Amino acid sequence: MRRIESQIDTNAPDFKANHAAMTERLKEFHARQHAARFERPQRDIDRLARQNKLGVRERLKLLLDPGTPFLEFSTLAACREYDGAVPGAAVVTGIGIVQGREVAIHANDASVKGGAWYPHTVKKIVRLLDVALENRLPVIHICDSAGGFLPLQHGVFPDRYLGGRVFRNQVKLSQANIPQVAIVGGHCTAGGAYVPTLSDYNVIIEGTGAIFLGGPPLVKAATGEEVGVQELGGAVMHTSVSGTGDYRAATEEHAFSLAREIVSQWKRTPKTIIETASFEEPYYEPKELYGIIPKDRKTQFDMREVLARIVDGSRFHEYQPDYGTTMICGYAHIWGYKVGILANNGVLFNDSSLKAAHFIQLCNQNRTPLVFFQNITGYMVGREYEERGIAKDGAKMLMAQGGSVVPKFTVIANASYGAGNYGMCGRAWDARTLFMWPQAEIGVMGADQAANTMADVKIRQLEREGKKLSDEEIAAIRDPVLEKFRHDVEAYTSTSELWDDGILDPADTRNALGMSISASLNAPIDDPHYGIFRL
Amino acid sequence: MRRIFQIDGEETECWLSHDGTNLIVNMPDGSVPCRLDPTSEPGGYVLRARGRVQELRLAVGPDATFVHLNGRAYAIGRVDPAERLAGSDSGAADDRIIAPMPGVVVAVNAKPGDQVKEGQILLVIESMKLETSLAAPRDGVVAEIPFAAGDSFGLKATLAQLAPEED
Repeated sequence: MRRIESQIDTNAPDFKANHAAMTERLKEFHARQHAARFERPQRDIDRLARQNKLGVRERLKLLLDPGTPFLEFSTLAACREYDGAVPGAAVVTGIGIVQGREVAIHANDASVKGGAWYPHTVKKIVRLLDVALENRLPVIHICDSAGGFLPLQHGVFPDRYLGGRVFRNQVKLSQANIPQVAIVGGHCTAGGAYVPTLSDYNVIIEGTGAIFLGGPPLVKAATGEEVGVQELGGAVMHTSVSGTGDYRAATEEHAFSLAREIVSQWKRTPKTIIETASFEEPYYEPKELYGIIPKDRKTQFDMREVLARIVDGSRFHEYQPDYGTTMICGYAHIWGYKVGILANNGVLFNDSSLKAAHFIQLCNQNRTPLVFFQNITGYMVGREYEERGIAKDGAKMLMAQGGSVVPKFTVIANASYGAGNYGMCGRAWDARTLFMWPQAEIGVMGADQAANTMADVKIRQLEREGKKLSDEEIAAIRDPVLEKFRHDVEAYTSTSELWDDGILDPADTRNALGMSISASLNAPIDDPHYGIFRL
Repeated sequence: MRRIFQIDGEETECWLSHDGTNLIVNMPDGSVPCRLDPTSEPGGYVLRARGRVQELRLAVGPDATFVHLNGRAYAIGRVDPAERLAGSDSGAADDRIIAPMPGVVVAVNAKPGDQVKEGQILLVIESMKLETSLAAPRDGVVAEIPFAAGDSFGLKATLAQLAPEED
């Protein structure tokens, strides 16, 4: 496979200006991520110490194999909700390595509001369990939650993908023979009691761990019975009387050593075999991505330069290099795994859509996982293109992409607008993981287009009423809409709402993809089959 | 297809076979049976070929293998056949820049009569929320840029024309 010949001049003024802008953005991103992970009010840190509990990060350190990577999801979930007071949505999720095997981890962060479940907490846990189901990953739950956040109970409890879905997914995991273990390091009250009880195995930490449908205050209110936490649902009672708990741990350290021992009892299913090559670092430096991604989102750039800094040896076998050139398709390796890559080099036209549809079918036939690099402002509009059937050709691409049986992975590298987001495997299209770069934008249309459209509607409405607007009045309608849209299309809004699995430093993309692909191979790949292509 | 190697700047085609006992290096001018056995030294081997026994050291990189033999180092580069055989002629560069899609001109960076270099940005267009820079397809003199900043144009409109090349 040939190496991509980079045309980038790292001394060019443009490169330097882009590099400076991205470095600045990343400084902010890393600071925000650090704060979400580690910075807590002193009273919360004190409370955990008083309760004799470890923080969630220390717990993860005890659980995971030392020196192995942990692919953490959605570190900035809920960063634009609840006045920023629920960092990470009060839960840590990700894929890590325990006893040499890939597992999905769901760990409450009791340093945030006692680990209470907010609407975004539930969304993050459900997403993690979906990841476990799709990739057939065993799950480790670290339970320490105050329960659903009552003032927002309608956002936590009733709907299809809310609280009940956590437990439903646990049932589905068990039904699919995917094992789960829960470590109870705090109270599991009401619905929360089902996390350890629906797990195949659970460990309760003596003194701090407890499981009950109703805690002591609720029991008192309901029946008048006065009972302490330990008698009602402590480790001793559950492991020796009720059988609700399996193992009693003397300390946190003991609990995690037991959990690791339990994991090593599980049957190891062979992973799906795909084409591989020996591991090779990219020939071009991944940090050069900072100077390649333009500081202005609208400026076009060659996605091959991006691929050259992500794939093994910067090697790429390009498919149809001279046809439908706004869509780059081809084969490469990431962490040694053969992948088919689709990357945007401009708007999707008829030819580029057909090329994508054909290449996706080739990869399915070949059992080659797909990686999408989005920089897409949409499918081309206008009479010429409608007459050529752009909507029909776009539908073919969606039919091929949505009907894929191979694992898919998506990186929103810059723009993700309109139906282009769909064609390029946006969130609704079941990418096994989907990450965003910090400067990327996502929306049904651009902020300018949306503001102009909405202003036009308003202006025409007022004109029908016989009013003529001055430039200032038009600006007064347009500007607030523009400002709101600019805020709404930002990566931080997307990641706050869990429309992605997290924002990535572009230089970390290779490893995030490598780990995602490796995890995906725990699930088998079906035979290809599709719906009807509108020819 | 035989593999192509570059040894000391010269290209050689060859392929390797095995007769059950020995390796055979097949070259255009004949075949040489040989044996290559590792020694206890890192990268060390003993080569037996044409009745001679030779110690050597090998270091394998992604694009070349380095052989240390008789106090001299040789680089054996692997030549990618698809690249080698593609031919260097990519066709004569066009004199015109044709609009890849309908849009609006954002900026014009050259005027008729300007001497320009290949790759130099002549104008920037915007379409579908994207700004695209259009570069000179070759060195030459600008003959015409029919649109000014702010003008709209249709698909396949000529956005810039270079003066014909003189032989």
